Amino acid sequence: MPAGVRTLLLRPEAPALIFLVLLAIVLAFTAEGFLDPANLEDNIARVVVLGVIALGVNQVVLSGEIDISVGSMLGLCAFAVGAVGESQGGLILPLLAGIGTGVVAGSVNGALVTLGRIPSIIVTLGMLYALRGMILVITGGRWITNIPSDTRALGLQSVAGVSVPVIILVVLLVVVELISRNSTWGRNVFAVGGNRRAARFAGLSAGRTRFLAFVLVGVLTGIAAAIYVGRAGGVQTNAGQGLELQVVAAVVVGGTSISGGRGSSVAAITGAVLIGVILNGLVLLDVPAEWQSAMLGALILLAISTDALRRRLLREQPS
Amino acid sequence: MIIEEHRGEHPGVQDGAYPSASPAARDKSSSDTPGDPVIRVMGLTKRFGGVTAIDGVDFDLLPGEVHALVGENGAGKSTLMKIVHGLYAPDEGQLEVEGRQVTFVSSRDAEAAGVAMIPQELDLFPELSVAENLYVGRHRPRSWWGGLDWTAMRTEARRQFETLGIDIDVTLPARFLSTANRQIVLIARALMGDARAVIMDEPTSSLTEREVQRLFEVIKDLTERGVGVVYVSHRLDEVFTIADRISVLRDGLHIKTAPVSELDSEELVRLMVGRALSELFVRNPHQHGSIALELKGLSRSSEFTDIDLTIHRGEVVGLAGLIGAGRTELAQAVFGIRPVESGEIYIDGERVSFHSPQEAMNRGVVYVPEERQSQGLILPFPIYANITLSILQKIARAGFLNYDRERKTTDRFADALSIRGADVSEPISRLSGGNQQKAMIAKSLACEPSILLLDEPTRGVDVGAKSEIYRLIDQLGQDGKAILLISSELEEVLSMADRVVVMREGRITAEFDRDEATQERVMAAAAGVEEKAGAAEL
Repeated sequence: MPAGVRTLLLRPEAPALIFLVLLAIVLAFTAEGFLDPANLEDNIARVVVLGVIALGVNQVVLSGEIDISVGSMLGLCAFAVGAVGESQGGLILPLLAGIGTGVVAGSVNGALVTLGRIPSIIVTLGMLYALRGMILVITGGRWITNIPSDTRALGLQSVAGVSVPVIILVVLLVVVELISRNSTWGRNVFAVGGNRRAARFAGLSAGRTRFLAFVLVGVLTGIAAAIYVGRAGGVQTNAGQGLELQVVAAVVVGGTSISGGRGSSVAAITGAVLIGVILNGLVLLDVPAEWQSAMLGALILLAISTDALRRRLLREQPS
Repeated sequence: MIIEEHRGEHPGVQDGAYPSASPAARDKSSSDTPGDPVIRVMGLTKRFGGVTAIDGVDFDLLPGEVHALVGENGAGKSTLMKIVHGLYAPDEGQLEVEGRQVTFVSSRDAEAAGVAMIPQELDLFPELSVAENLYVGRHRPRSWWGGLDWTAMRTEARRQFETLGIDIDVTLPARFLSTANRQIVLIARALMGDARAVIMDEPTSSLTEREVQRLFEVIKDLTERGVGVVYVSHRLDEVFTIADRISVLRDGLHIKTAPVSELDSEELVRLMVGRALSELFVRNPHQHGSIALELKGLSRSSEFTDIDLTIHRGEVVGLAGLIGAGRTELAQAVFGIRPVESGEIYIDGERVSFHSPQEAMNRGVVYVPEERQSQGLILPFPIYANITLSILQKIARAGFLNYDRERKTTDRFADALSIRGADVSEPISRLSGGNQQKAMIAKSLACEPSILLLDEPTRGVDVGAKSEIYRLIDQLGQDGKAILLISSELEEVLSMADRVVVMREGRITAEFDRDEATQERVMAAAAGVEEKAGAAEL
């Protein structure tokens, strides 16, 4: 096997990427309208929201923790964006409101996990319910519908023929990957996830490192909320419901190890795109609604099992 | 398990997973040829990645004998025994149990064939009772409605301990047992499966003198019943007391097997180390400076009490004691990992109190942990990222890494400590134990410390790396560093330290200057006995 191919296959996102390419080829021939610009356009916003949040959760998973609160967090951030947009208009102020809300929620997650020493799965499970409850209490069940078009810019506009959500996703991917690979914090995330005890003994602050990862999820969820609101044009109280598990699935299917310490930002995005394509393909192929969950689950399992194939190809020891 | 019929005489003797017939009864039926080995291995080879752990080793165990397996850390003793017990599959070679060639896929296969092992780590289930622990992984007696028959389990467990002549409450959860009693439970557990061979891996490493005697009685009782015992140890006095034959492994090779009467301890040491001991240690006399580290009345609940200790610049202080004496806990408290409850720490005469390793490192204190894999290294990381782990902030500008500078720093340390075996960009797991150890020390040295707390710095490394680490410790001493050398290897403490401090049950029980310290004195202080023949530990 040529060295270049080997290096490529060794990357954590390789199996998901190969599976994604194969699936796209199959869908291009079997699913009518898969390659239509209108179809792609329709799915981009969903994939971008999923992908942007997955970039953040990916860092949390790399650090050895998990965040399953992002479904409700997106809902709350979307309400912040929508409410500020409704009363003030403009783009910047609503966006900052969304990010600010995300940062507060992420900080609570981070503080409870690191200072409170509570397992992250419990903390974020609690926050998943608590944040959804807050949405209902604050809004009293009211939907936001009158969102001015300048607030919706991130979801609607395009630059030089490329839609803004895609540009945001690519920019964020590059930024997060740069931080991940080239900053001390990024290195520490891998270290803490790879062996928290050794990292602590080496003088790293495992608490600060993980706290910042949770805050990053908040920031990115805020940005994703602005895209979500821009695309949907309104906010319902169930906004983002069920998203949390899609995000975790994207991260893990993409190739980031659920036990931490191994993975990449590209993996998270690959996983998000893969899940978006699967969901879209199921609709286009007229798979009955009651079968879609089962099919999604089966395809995720199939995607992960290609990892075993890769290991055998490379004779790599299971980690 | 795949059993290939190798000879015709013993068709299907081992069928039926755990027959309850007494070992004595089994003895008659299975070894009709007296003196036939219970275990025989031929040309066994096992490699881990690029490292050959054992290389073409031959070994055999006769019924009713105690066969000691000795060798330094990393010589391959544990690897060999784990293969015999089915934990590892050999790359080459054959394994025979009672004359039949076998291939074990798991430890369960080995136990079904009558090979039991008492592991070095005492892995009982802490929340289960002693009786339940005996039955883990075995067929448990059932009552008439299909539930567990607790009465039968307890009765059988009590009988098991009675035959060993030991009184133990079988309903007690295992976590309440002393280390010695855990060992006894594991022995009882091993014998439940009607073992023909029992492997004991460093069984006395955490036992007191009296408990060792009791263990020896149990071993004698076993051999009288025709059970073969493999006794893995590096305590030579014990080996000479209990063994019938001794096999020596060194660097994965089988060096010699001989009856105990044909060997003396000097010869045995030479076989194990491959050279005279004096060549291994490097220590040049040099001047000591001012006091670098001073502890006054340091205490932490049940771990250590009222510790007074000083280390001068350029001085190597050896901290000896048995496992569990509180030495690691003390060093970790100084390093800021465990909060100190009372007492004072002074560095260069200035009172300090650290709440995190980061604070300790900023004042020039580093701790090199004893558990290389779980506490010292990030295994998925490349070598360079492990070495720079603690100094990333210094290498980085405004929080961003400079890979060039990182690479240069790493190369400097990899050179200085002669870390060999892989490129610095490869995962650190590719390195051998000794080189991993050196990389871990390099990580600490990169912080430019003035005080080093070394916790078992030569555990699990080969002789070559050991000698290099000793040379490094000597060099660091000459450079004026203050060094605390925690070690369970007496020879190491006696040869490397300028002063030996002994801890027992959380207290300092003795302190000797270099020329006063002898094996007997240090051992007596560590075990809490007045002058007696100390256990010679290599």
